Parts: sequence; C-alpha cells; structure tokens
Amino acid sequence: MIEAFGLTKTYPGDVEAVKAIDFEVAAGEVFGLLGPNGAGKSTTIGMLTTTIVPTAGTARLAGFDVVTEALAARSVSSVVFQEPVIDRSLSGRRNLELHARLWRVPAPPIDELARTLGVADLLDRPVAGYSGGERRRLEIARALVSRPRVLFLDEPTVGLDPLIRAELLDAIERMRDRTDMTILLTTHYLDEAEKLCDRLAIVHQGEIVALDTPTALLAGLGREIVELRVEGDAHRALGVLRERGVVDGDGFAVGSTLTVPLHDRSAADAIAEIDRAGLAPASIGTRRPTLDDVYLRLTGGRLAEAA
Amino acid sequence: MTALSPVATLPRRPSPLAVASPLATLAGRRFALTTRTPRELLVPLITPILFALVIAPALKSALHTGSAYEAFVATGTVGLLIPLNTMFSGLSVIVDRESGAQRELLAAPIPRALLVLGNLAVALAVTAFQVVALIGFALARGIHFDASATGVLWFVGAATAFTVGMYGAAETLASRVPKAEEYIARVPAIAIVPWFLAGSLFPISALPGFLEWFARFLPLTHGLALVRYGLLGDATPLHDVWGMSNATAMAGLSLAVVVAFAAALTVVSIRVFTRSAVR
Repeated sequence: MIEAFGLTKTYPGDVEAVKAIDFEVAAGEVFGLLGPNGAGKSTTIGMLTTTIVPTAGTARLAGFDVVTEALAARSVSSVVFQEPVIDRSLSGRRNLELHARLWRVPAPPIDELARTLGVADLLDRPVAGYSGGERRRLEIARALVSRPRVLFLDEPTVGLDPLIRAELLDAIERMRDRTDMTILLTTHYLDEAEKLCDRLAIVHQGEIVALDTPTALLAGLGREIVELRVEGDAHRALGVLRERGVVDGDGFAVGSTLTVPLHDRSAADAIAEIDRAGLAPASIGTRRPTLDDVYLRLTGGRLAEAA
Repeated sequence: MTALSPVATLPRRPSPLAVASPLATLAGRRFALTTRTPRELLVPLITPILFALVIAPALKSALHTGSAYEAFVATGTVGLLIPLNTMFSGLSVIVDRESGAQRELLAAPIPRALLVLGNLAVALAVTAFQVVALIGFALARGIHFDASATGVLWFVGAATAFTVGMYGAAETLASRVPKAEEYIARVPAIAIVPWFLAGSLFPISALPGFLEWFARFLPLTHGLALVRYGLLGDATPLHDVWGMSNATAMAGLSLAVVVAFAAALTVVSIRVFTRSAVR
C-alpha cells in the first residue's frame, strides 16, 4: 500500500534530511517511523503526502506515484499533522464537511466519527474553544471522513498532557482495530510505537537503521539486561567487560551508564563477573529491554534526550 | 459501532467540471472565515469613505472648485479601496499558513491553483460589496455620477480586472514573505503610493513630466481612467494617457492593459504560491 524506494530529500545548503530510504507497508498494517526530532520522519511524511518534493527515489501510495500522480495519491490518503492545522473560527462540523467536500465523499460519516473520537458534543462549536486533546481528536476524525486507504499520523500525541495522550492513544488503537486502512505513524514516544505499530523503522539522521516488529527489535537484546552506573570512564569499563566476555558487541555506554544485554547468560553470573572485574559500580540492576535500548544501541543516543 | 472502511475506487484525474465543485467549496470556506472577521469587510472601507465624503468636499471648498471635483475624487477613491481590500485579503493567506488549515488544503486531492482562485473569488465578492457601498455613500452624500449602461460596463470591467490583478499582487507577496508584520510593512508601497501618482486626486497631466510618463505605465492609472470614463462619462483621463481622440479606442486600450495586468499577476501568484507551499 505504501512503497518507498531510495527516497531522498536534500534541502538547500546540502542538508540531507532523508537519505535513500526503502520500505514497504502492507495494506492494513500500522507502520511506525521512530526517531527523534530532526531524524527525517516528518520530511518522509511530507514527501508521501506530496507537500515535499523528493530529491531522488520514488514513492507510491496504493500504486499511485506521489510525484507523477500526486492528485490520485492525495485522493487515497489523509494526514493528521504534528501541529494544529484547522480553521479555528469554524465549527468542528464545518471543518469535517470541508474535508468531505474536498475529498468528494458523498455521505460523510461525520456524526459517527465524532462519536467514535469523543467529540460529538463539541461538533457545532467553534474549534477555537476546544482543548488541545479535543482539537487533535477532531483532526483525526477529519482525516477519517474521506475513508482513506492510507492514513498518516505525524506525531499525533506530541504536546498533549499524559491523561489526554493516553485517551488519544486508546482512540487510535480502537480505530486501528476497527478499520482495514494502512497507517503510517511517526513518533518519538516508545510506548506509542510499541502499543500501536505492527512494524517499526528506527530512523536516525535521515536513514533507517533498523526495521522490524517491536517484538523482534526487542528480542535482539535478549530477555533481560544489566544496567550499571560507574565512576570514571564508562567506555573504559565497557572495554574491561568486553575483555572478560561479559559484554558482546551489543553492549553500550552512555554517560556513566553501561547497558549489558544478557542473552543466554544469567543476571547472577553477569553481576558476579562485574564484581570480579573490580568496577565497583555506584548502582547496578536488571530490567527488561525497551525500545529505548534498541535505539540507543543503534544510534548512541537516547530518544528522550534527542527529542 | 460500524467499521470504517476505506473507499474502493477513486478517480485518477479530476475532469474540468469536477474542478468547479472544489472551487466553490474553497470559496465558501474563505467566505465563512471572512464573515467571521468583520474587520476584513469594514476596515478597508474607512479610508476611501473618508476621502470621498470628507476630504473631497473639504478640498472642493478650500480650492474653490466645483461639484465635478467631488465626483472626480469619489471615483478616484475606488483606486484606493481596491488595493487596500485586496491587500487585506492577502493577509488571510498568511494567517492560513501560520495558524489555519492551509496544509490540510495542500494535502487535498485538488489542483493547488484552486486555493488561489478560491481566495480570489471571495476577494472579488468582498471588493464588489465595498465598491457598491462606497458609491452608495457618495450618492447619499449628493455626489453626482453620469453613467450610461455602457459606461457601467466599462467601470465593472475595469474594476474587476484591476481587483484580480491586485489580488494577484497580494497573494504573491503573501507567499513570498514569511511573517504578517513584513507583509503589512510592504502594503503602503503597493496599495497607497501608486494611488497618489495615478490621477486619483488630480489629473496626471498635473504631475512633473517624468512622473506623468511613469504614471502612464501604472495599471491603476488605466483603471481609474476607465472608472471615470464609465461613471462620469469623462474621457479626459484616457486622453491624458493615450493622447488620442477616439474615446472608445482609448478605453479599449486601457482595458487591455488592466486585463493583461490581471492575467499576468494571476499566473505569477499561482506559480509563486504553489512553489512556496511545496518544498
């Protein structure tokens, strides 16, 4: 349903925002682009929604080339933007009706969508009076009015408070379960990616550095990891652990923290070996790996810090 | 609850007929937004009405001129009203881009030129309302016009083409400048300065020689000459531009200038908008 091959965007000044990325998204799949701000996620969505012209490569939505068949590509897709993009002085209903007319939907399911997204009671009020979460839910309802085959959600929960964010994630999850549309979601929130996406591409500096299901990405780090904080040079400490065979190639250090995937080794064995190495960590513990660890291993930076 | 399923088939290209419906939708949207901000309708009227109803009679009295001068200035204020109103309309393009739904419209399956044309349709309607209001106020103030049916056609043609051209200038400027503040700073140079040179308050023949020549190249000079020819039956402003004796021929030439201005600025505005909206 979505195909991108060698998709590239270079902005004036030789700024390479997206570097020849390849991916395919199957019909009905929820696909996530995970990465910090500036990784190239929004530029990728811009190219797929025909508001940014690719420098090289091709992309197709439902078989329509986004450059040579832009109108047809736009007719099968909708987008929810990262920032509010809505006519605030118009009512919610008027905004939804406008979308329906522009996408030529003969009988738009406005009231049904408004109920599904929890904005039915607000629909006839000017959007200027909506809260951030209500406005975002309305924008999602608007994107669904045209029954798109491809839905783009660009950082759908960014800037929302935790409660509203959780409610919105639930709404998106319900929507996902009830439709067979293809969704491409960008986010720098790990829980969001893990909860909603069938497959994930981790994007770093315009490149896809990993692409798989969340489960498979996590499985690469084993069932458990040891995390320890050391005084002094963490990279030297990592080298010591490598020499002793405690850490494989996928261990990493950020600041004073070492992360050691255990794979087949037990936590007790690893901690005993760390003791014997004389590192005297300030703190040490075990936990399950997260997508943050996957990202960190691949890119050397924490998502939350990078975002 | 009902499952939401994607549509199965969609048109590859819109037919020319299909373009009319999105254009009406876009114009309807712009009109709805405009009517929710009455200042867009009223503020551009203030200065021209002040000129037509207060300053013109005051000048007539101070300069000991006749009632024809009041009519001369009242028609001249049309040349101020149209640029001011269209520049105000252009401001809404920046508002749309900064805090409105422009990106949603850019993602819609419609030719992007329609976004410009939808705005233009509403700018034309609002300008027509304001010009009618201005003339109505002038008539109520006792200012006399001498317009035949043909004259009204010349007036409508000139005012329409000039409005289209000026909206093109406004849309182009709005697409080129990043902030509303920068846009507003450029408005006097585009909307007001030419008005003083185009024979609004006095004939261009009263200007110094080089400025008189310069004024002949301003579309507004041709537009105002046509407005006066249409509403006052006075071909003198056309003669000041062309130096010919056949009034209809001169009017035709001036209308061609204004129409060419409108066509060129419309093409430029669509090109600049589509280029600036898509990175």
